[in-house]
Amino acid sequence: MALTALEIYKLLPKTNCKECGFPTCLAFAMQIAAGKAGIEQCPPASDEARETLGAAAAPPLPKVTVGSGERAVILGDEVVLYRHEKTFYHPTAFAISISDALDDDAFGERIRRIRALSFERMGETLAVDMVAVRCDSGNAARFARAAAAAKEGAGLPLLLSGPCEALAAALPSLGSDRPLLSPPSGEEEAGARLAAPLGLPLVVRAKGIDGLERALNAARAAGARDLVADPMPASLPEALAMSVYLRRLAILARVREVACPTAFDLGNGFPFPFAAASLLVPKYGSLLVLDLDDPADLFPLLTLRQNIFTDPQKPIQVEAGIYPVGNATPSSPVLITTNFSLTYFTVRSDIEASRVPARLLVADCDGMSVLTAWAAGKFSGESIARILSESGIAGAVSHRTLILPGMVARLSGKIEELSGWRVLVGPQESSALPTYLRRLPPAAFAPPDV
Amino acid sequence: MSDPGTGTIRFLPQGVSVPVATGETILSHAIRAGVPLLSPCGGEKRCGKCRVIVAGEAAGGNDPGILSGADLRAGVRLACRCRPSGGEDITVTVPPESLPAKLIAYLEGRDLAEDEPFLPLHTATGGRNPLGVALDLGTSTLAGALIDLVGGRLLARTAADNPQMSCGEDLISRIVYGEESEGGFALLRQLLLSGVEKVIAALLRSAPADGEIVDVTAAGNTVITHILYGVSPAPIRHPPYQPVFREYPVRTGEEIGSLAASSAPWRLFPSLGGFVGGDIVADVLASGMHREETVSLLFDVGTNGEVALGNNEFLMACSSSAGPAFEGGEVACGMRAYPGAIESVRIDPDTLAAEWTVIGGGKPLGICGSGILDLCAEMFRAGLIDRAGQFVPRTGAPFAETARGRAYLVASAQQSATGSAICFAAPDIKSVLRTKAALCAAADSLLAAVGLPRNAVERVYIAGGFGNFLDLRSALSLGVFPPFPMERYVPLGNASLAGAIGAIRSRRRWKEALALAAAATYHDLSSDAGFMEAFQRALFIPHTDEESYRTVLSPGGGR
Amino acid sequence: MTVTLPKQTFPGRIVEVTLPAGEGGQSVSVGGQTTLPLMPEGEQPNAASIGIEVRTGDEELPPSLARALSGKGTDPSAIARSLVRECGAQFLFLSLAGCHPDLGGHTISRGAGIVRDVLQAVPCPAIVGGCGEEETDALLFPAVAEAAPRPVFLSYADEKNYRLVAGAALAYGHGVVSWSPIDINMAKQANLLLRDIGMPPHRVLIDPLTGGLGYGLEYTYSIIERIRLAGLSGDAALARPILCHLGDSWKAREAMDSTEASWGDVVDRGRRWEEATAWACLAAGADLLVCRHPDNVRTLRGIAGTPWR
Repeated sequence: MALTALEIYKLLPKTNCKECGFPTCLAFAMQIAAGKAGIEQCPPASDEARETLGAAAAPPLPKVTVGSGERAVILGDEVVLYRHEKTFYHPTAFAISISDALDDDAFGERIRRIRALSFERMGETLAVDMVAVRCDSGNAARFARAAAAAKEGAGLPLLLSGPCEALAAALPSLGSDRPLLSPPSGEEEAGARLAAPLGLPLVVRAKGIDGLERALNAARAAGARDLVADPMPASLPEALAMSVYLRRLAILARVREVACPTAFDLGNGFPFPFAAASLLVPKYGSLLVLDLDDPADLFPLLTLRQNIFTDPQKPIQVEAGIYPVGNATPSSPVLITTNFSLTYFTVRSDIEASRVPARLLVADCDGMSVLTAWAAGKFSGESIARILSESGIAGAVSHRTLILPGMVARLSGKIEELSGWRVLVGPQESSALPTYLRRLPPAAFAPPDV
Repeated sequence: MSDPGTGTIRFLPQGVSVPVATGETILSHAIRAGVPLLSPCGGEKRCGKCRVIVAGEAAGGNDPGILSGADLRAGVRLACRCRPSGGEDITVTVPPESLPAKLIAYLEGRDLAEDEPFLPLHTATGGRNPLGVALDLGTSTLAGALIDLVGGRLLARTAADNPQMSCGEDLISRIVYGEESEGGFALLRQLLLSGVEKVIAALLRSAPADGEIVDVTAAGNTVITHILYGVSPAPIRHPPYQPVFREYPVRTGEEIGSLAASSAPWRLFPSLGGFVGGDIVADVLASGMHREETVSLLFDVGTNGEVALGNNEFLMACSSSAGPAFEGGEVACGMRAYPGAIESVRIDPDTLAAEWTVIGGGKPLGICGSGILDLCAEMFRAGLIDRAGQFVPRTGAPFAETARGRAYLVASAQQSATGSAICFAAPDIKSVLRTKAALCAAADSLLAAVGLPRNAVERVYIAGGFGNFLDLRSALSLGVFPPFPMERYVPLGNASLAGAIGAIRSRRRWKEALALAAAATYHDLSSDAGFMEAFQRALFIPHTDEESYRTVLSPGGGR
Repeated sequence: MTVTLPKQTFPGRIVEVTLPAGEGGQSVSVGGQTTLPLMPEGEQPNAASIGIEVRTGDEELPPSLARALSGKGTDPSAIARSLVRECGAQFLFLSLAGCHPDLGGHTISRGAGIVRDVLQAVPCPAIVGGCGEEETDALLFPAVAEAAPRPVFLSYADEKNYRLVAGAALAYGHGVVSWSPIDINMAKQANLLLRDIGMPPHRVLIDPLTGGLGYGLEYTYSIIERIRLAGLSGDAALARPILCHLGDSWKAREAMDSTEASWGDVVDRGRRWEEATAWACLAAGADLLVCRHPDNVRTLRGIAGTPWR
């Protein structure tokens, strides 16, 4: 029931007083509609406005925090079913399991393997978020030791999975770290009584939506607040359906009783864990527990997560840099364009169509097209000259000739003056590149005379 | 040859009457009467563009294939096939869309909101006649009007090219010129002032002997207004992309740099943002949309392609940077609407050859905006281009392979006044599509920004000289505007000048302009994520969402 | 309180498209659904279909593919037969990359001959891909259209070349794959142009361009979701089955690089790189997947091969 900007505007004072920081009430209303501002920024707002707009802003899916400090993990707090409607905010958390039944060496090895699940990509570190300690031994004291060792060894927030007796034993040494407690199905009330006094988050496990509703209510009645729902699916199709239903219930139907982040245990013999994880990352799984520890499995899963949780409202752009097209040699032509994805893709494909190997310099213009970037001052004689000297293109080619998009022909003089490169003005339309490139004389790309 | 006992045929709005000659068509009466009426096919009864509204006895010209039921009931007939029955007086009204474009297009404008009698408030020194000058400072054209401030009468109107064109066809180029050339802004200001002074001098030729200019209003876009005001508009082009002034404190003509109106106060219409200026404020003022409960859209179809949306509760405006294709720019054979310009086009569905009318008659030099619009709509209708604007290979079609690739031959070398063929090539079609897509997408983006559906818009005002003379059917076939039913469109002509005239005539109107500008919201399309998508959607003929256009273009014409 | 399961229904239906098979083969039908993928709701007459790419031309293969395809020789027909038998691929994507001047420079007649031979050797449905070089493909598509012994789908037609490809398809009874570069409006525009030229809806598939994992997959993912939602909500020109060619995922450094030990074994990693891309596409709404790794065909068929109830 999102209100349009105009509907919100009608609730505002319409005086354009600018106390909210926006030039007009309508501009402010548009920001509220986009979720980028709140009614509290408007001191003269009426009570009716505050009530209507405040309520509409309450998140449909509550936030649950696990762990604390820098490595805290946030679950839930989502507002849309489809990332293209806005964005997904909190990446699916990955918890790698470790069993308390392992001997010291095996335990240490497992911790080491978990720590190694960290990869660098595109300037970001992709890593697993938590360690899930399983009580396989049946021994509360052993479980407590394992939990403490896991905290010490991995330095990650913990999910503690075991009977309440074992959980209670582990808490004293971990309590202030805010672990996520995960008792077996049927023990939610006992689990709640453990979690509530310390304000700890709790996984409530039950089969099916109705079962979950009852269990969640019971946990709440026993005082627990930060709840995560595990619908205990037996198969991959069931897991996916449950995940989707729970998200729809929270966001579309606004059924508060079952509006929780979700957790799925894809270890312990769950069928096809890699496939399940691949599906649950885009389809609303808040937390996945995996027995997998092979980087060959986790690297693709973490990359998938990185992709899905990118903000789609940023214009699609490619990384700036030098892109060789075909088998480019030091005497191949050099062209330049902006980093708006569509521009880059079109120009690149037209160069490929020409069958002339070349290098395409992509300038960082905040994802704008050539004309837009030029009008906004982001694609100028100065910025292009800077790219020619700083990108390393001079080391990749033996000539000093640049082909400029015809639309910004007027920049050629400035570029030549500032960089010393020679500028050829290319066609206005990228589609004319094949003809243009094929007709270029090779002499245009001879090394400059010494 | 008139027979005794026959009536007269009176043409409106021209107010010209001629006796009825039995057996002659209305079109031929119009030609004899010197009443301009569009007829690209030359009266051969093929193009359907000579629509007139007939009150009185007349037969013929009621083709159901071209005219809708609503049209026929309203008395619309095709002048080339309609003949007065004779013996009675009839009145024939020529609607705006059947008028050929002329330079006069840049001057005539409707002020719909002017509703009060003129109050003479001005006095001049020494008993001289007080005069007011209203100016429209356009990117390509400067227009002016002279008003007698005793009786409120319009004394004269004139227009001239903006001399700044030599420093750049579009506003960004002019800012860049100003920033990068030594003394660039001083030169731009000097050029502008010389153009303005020329306009004022031309106006004064129609002034009473004792006239003195005591009041000046000027409406122009933000860049040009800044330059006139003596301030560099460069900040518009750099973060945070804000103009230096929104409201311009009044200065005398002397401070501005004008000799002809040096003692008069110069009131410059306020700007809304970097690329939406006082000209749009004046457009809105003239349309009256800011006083209506119903929601309206306003298009200023020029190089900057500004669009405004609102009613008496809110107003939002943006600039689509549409490009000059509808002013004849960016298109190789394009030209302004001067004599020699092809202003309307029709393509024969069988021969695939073009037929056209030229402003002022004679051989064509090029094509102006309304002609370009017609040409593209006709090429699509004839199956010569596909929905993406790409040429379709058709046997017998007059295509030529030129240095710019394949082109459609509008006029051969022998037919053209220049001795070179007039061709429309693929890059020209692309320019037109980009221009029209920007306009259409700007409107859809404003609607999306406030959260209104298209059907909430009751009226669509078209400002800008081109607007009076574009063929609405061609415009909708091409998809220049979103698919509003045709009867919702209201052409305003040069509303910017009309608004400036209104502000000279009435202090209250001037205050109204200031108030509506202060309350308006400027919408920056470059940061509107939906605009690029709306633009891509609109880059199709008529649009990617074609279903909605089919209803408004069907003979029923929408409601 | 019993909570009602929030099933979603839509007014539209995705057109059902059948890829015909040769004698003894099994045709493939996709589309026909009234609902979102992989959910037990609405009507879903067909599960997603998983195919394998058979690629001509000279190229260095990523280690994972090199291992999987080793020992199969160089004859496209033999490779095709072996792969289909081994992994149960439901259709072939025959890529005539070898006709590209830089990847083998095969002649047009050789390309057309390969199509004829492979289709005669293997009866399963086929999609034939051009070489990606404009001038060569302008000659290749008509030749392939004529040489194919049974109806295939030609990949691909876009805004620029649709007259040529659809023309060939219409002349010889084939279907087309309608391609656009990760843009929902261009996808619709391409389909409208195909409609204008007379291509019937049940002979059109949408290829939205599948960016590989880590290199644009999320753009593809959202465009597929949007296309599917539009088609189900009544936008007729977008109510077509969607084809995802997973080839781009193999261009990733992460799928090919064998030097980084911390990244795990490249043979497994490469295959998983394609598999993760595949699952994401299925979650968004893909109806056909073209894999390069036979193990992935097996895995995907095993799990997603029948409609989920």
